[in-house]
Amino acid sequence: MEFTVSKADLVRELNLSQGVVEKKATIPILSNILVEASEDRLTLTATDLELGIRSVMPAKVRTAGTGTIPAKRLLDYVRLLPESEINIKFSDTHWASLTCGRSRSRIAGMSRESYPELPEMPATTVEVSLSALTSLVQKTIFSISNEDSRFTLNGALLQVAEGGMTMVSTDGHRLALAHQGGCAGDAAPSKALLPKKAMVELLKISAEAGGEDVKIEYAADDNHLFFRLGDRLLMSRKLTGNFPDYERVLPRSHAHVITLNREEFRSTIERVAQFADERTRAIKVRLADNEAKIHSSLSETGESEESLGIEYVGPTVEIGFNAQYLLEFLRAVPEAEIGFHFKDGQSAGELRPAGDAVAYEYRYVVMPMRI
Amino acid sequence: MRTIFHVDMDAFFVSVEELLDPSLKGKPVVVGGQAGERGVVSAASYAARKFGIHSALPLRTAAKLCPHAIFLDGHPKLYREYSHRVHEVLMEFSPLVEMASVDEAYMDLTGTERLHGPPLKAAHALHERMKSKTGLNCSVGIASSKMVAKVSSDQAKPNGVLWIQPGLEADFLAPLDVRRIPGVGKVTERHLAELGIKKVGDLARLDAPFLMRRFGQWGLALAGKARGADAGAWFDGGIGGEDDPKSVSHEHTFSEDTSDAARLDATLVHLTEKVARRLREYSLHARTVHLKLRNSAFETLTRSHTLHQPTQVDQELIEAARAMFKAAWVAGRKVRLIGMGVSGLDTDAGQMGLLDSPRHERAMKALEAADKLRKKFGEKTVALAAGMAADAPERVHENPAGLPGKRKGVD
Repeated sequence: MEFTVSKADLVRELNLSQGVVEKKATIPILSNILVEASEDRLTLTATDLELGIRSVMPAKVRTAGTGTIPAKRLLDYVRLLPESEINIKFSDTHWASLTCGRSRSRIAGMSRESYPELPEMPATTVEVSLSALTSLVQKTIFSISNEDSRFTLNGALLQVAEGGMTMVSTDGHRLALAHQGGCAGDAAPSKALLPKKAMVELLKISAEAGGEDVKIEYAADDNHLFFRLGDRLLMSRKLTGNFPDYERVLPRSHAHVITLNREEFRSTIERVAQFADERTRAIKVRLADNEAKIHSSLSETGESEESLGIEYVGPTVEIGFNAQYLLEFLRAVPEAEIGFHFKDGQSAGELRPAGDAVAYEYRYVVMPMRI
Repeated sequence: MRTIFHVDMDAFFVSVEELLDPSLKGKPVVVGGQAGERGVVSAASYAARKFGIHSALPLRTAAKLCPHAIFLDGHPKLYREYSHRVHEVLMEFSPLVEMASVDEAYMDLTGTERLHGPPLKAAHALHERMKSKTGLNCSVGIASSKMVAKVSSDQAKPNGVLWIQPGLEADFLAPLDVRRIPGVGKVTERHLAELGIKKVGDLARLDAPFLMRRFGQWGLALAGKARGADAGAWFDGGIGGEDDPKSVSHEHTFSEDTSDAARLDATLVHLTEKVARRLREYSLHARTVHLKLRNSAFETLTRSHTLHQPTQVDQELIEAARAMFKAAWVAGRKVRLIGMGVSGLDTDAGQMGLLDSPRHERAMKALEAADKLRKKFGEKTVALAAGMAADAPERVHENPAGLPGKRKGVD
């Protein structure tokens, strides 16, 4: 196999695959990237068996063929080469010779035979608006559980139905639900658990594809999910197991609702939370007489309180929250005004974007802390 | 300068038995089980002690030492009841009472001279009061530290009072065997004997850095103890002080090593239930669950697991303990000891759960009701069915739940 590619193309695509390439050398072949050259293109594939990414770029192919090469070593080296063409030639002994201007290097690769076979993307796909999908990911990814023991919570529930898409995530303390109607093409209703790592990669590959009407193709087989964006294909194993019955958790109604300015609320919490316990991050929100008081104190070392003017004449309610949980929502929601729905110190509170212009659904349910 | 009383009931279990059956008085009585049984002596009357019988001695050995002794199974429930009565009497003298076990307590009487008079007068009053209220004798040790008070009550036995005046602690301790120091057991005694140290006075002459090098932190505590100070482990801290425990644990050694899965599970459940009960008693929530297994070859294995949500609910702790046990135990392998504990204790549960809330709340309500029953009718009133087959005999030496004390099984 021998081909020539531009350094810029190669570095860009190798960068994308870095998040997927296996870092622990438990299975050495997975530290390698699969290189396939044919006709006028080069295909790069990386996988850690959970996630796979495949991208295609133009190349001048002299002799077609396949081989594997250590991904990190290749990227680290190629990145330092001048902006020009790189010629890569694989020998029968799986060594790759790289030539670029006056630089010549050899990297030991491995036979393609031992590289795992990746699943094929099913023929039936749904076209989804890329901006809608990434927006759903950004609005839910932060409340995914990081605890490995709760593996069904290590991803988000992705539902496609009636031309719309819903993404739900929870870590057992809070739940984020984002729904966008009219963003998906016709398709049979489907549900799948998308691992967090796949969501991170999805955001990466979509970062480079700008534009309003860009579509991404989505498909699923029994065990995998596929996202194709132009020349790039992201594959992910589905998380197995049952996602909790989230509809049961969503509050049907709340006793009270107030409207807050997102920036004001966010910066207030950020300041007050400087005095919150590092581990619990507990702050107290006290609502009474058209005022929201945010308070936190560290026993004997300091305390802080700020108040925000609100429209509220209901009974005095005091709720403890993990400041981090509130901040993550406030950083993800784009609207300037948000609605805070609550009942009392023992019931779940809910944050939503406020205003008539909100053309999608975004609900963030947070359980309080006992204070 | 503090004034600490150590009140130790004289032959507590035997004395309670004598109240039930006055004909036992003056006879060699052994509480703990029948003569031929497996098990150990929990208490022996003074007459029985003359034959060399003491607590923790195997019953069979006791029977050999004194074949004509009267062996009784005992009445743990009654002992607890009397323990509560003892506590009530002590509370009349000071609000700072710490039941160190079912039959002994520390009291802080600092600054009560105007109320109770000088220490000896107070001790005399206490003696009288105890006898009239409970019918039991006790011995009282008075000193400026808990450690010396404990040693002096031992010297005061039976039915006596001994006051070690401030400044005379070291002189009092010097002629005593090192074994008299609480915390010094066979092993330390042997190690000290190797250094030629037999009496507390010998120990007091050694300097702390030397003992520290030789015994580590324990050496430092020893040096303090030898001079009559409260040092090390459970003597640290005041009486009735609210120092929160760092962990809570219970363990059980099987009378005979077992590989019976059902029995092991029942014991694990029972231990966990006890741990959870303690957590609720202290209003604490545990984040980490520990499991301890020891096999016939004395090899000890420990496992721990951190929960996603701190808890004080039996079922949630059992779930974690069982999972660890399942992973750690090879079916058929004989187990000598099984232990269960929790750490990472928080005074509040903190973050409430979104998904398991209804189940958790229901469990909390059920346990609250169960704990009320236990408080009113005794610890054994309610128990988890899964733990009922556990062969954990009542440990009568344990400080009963419900009485204030330095938390036992807590370190």
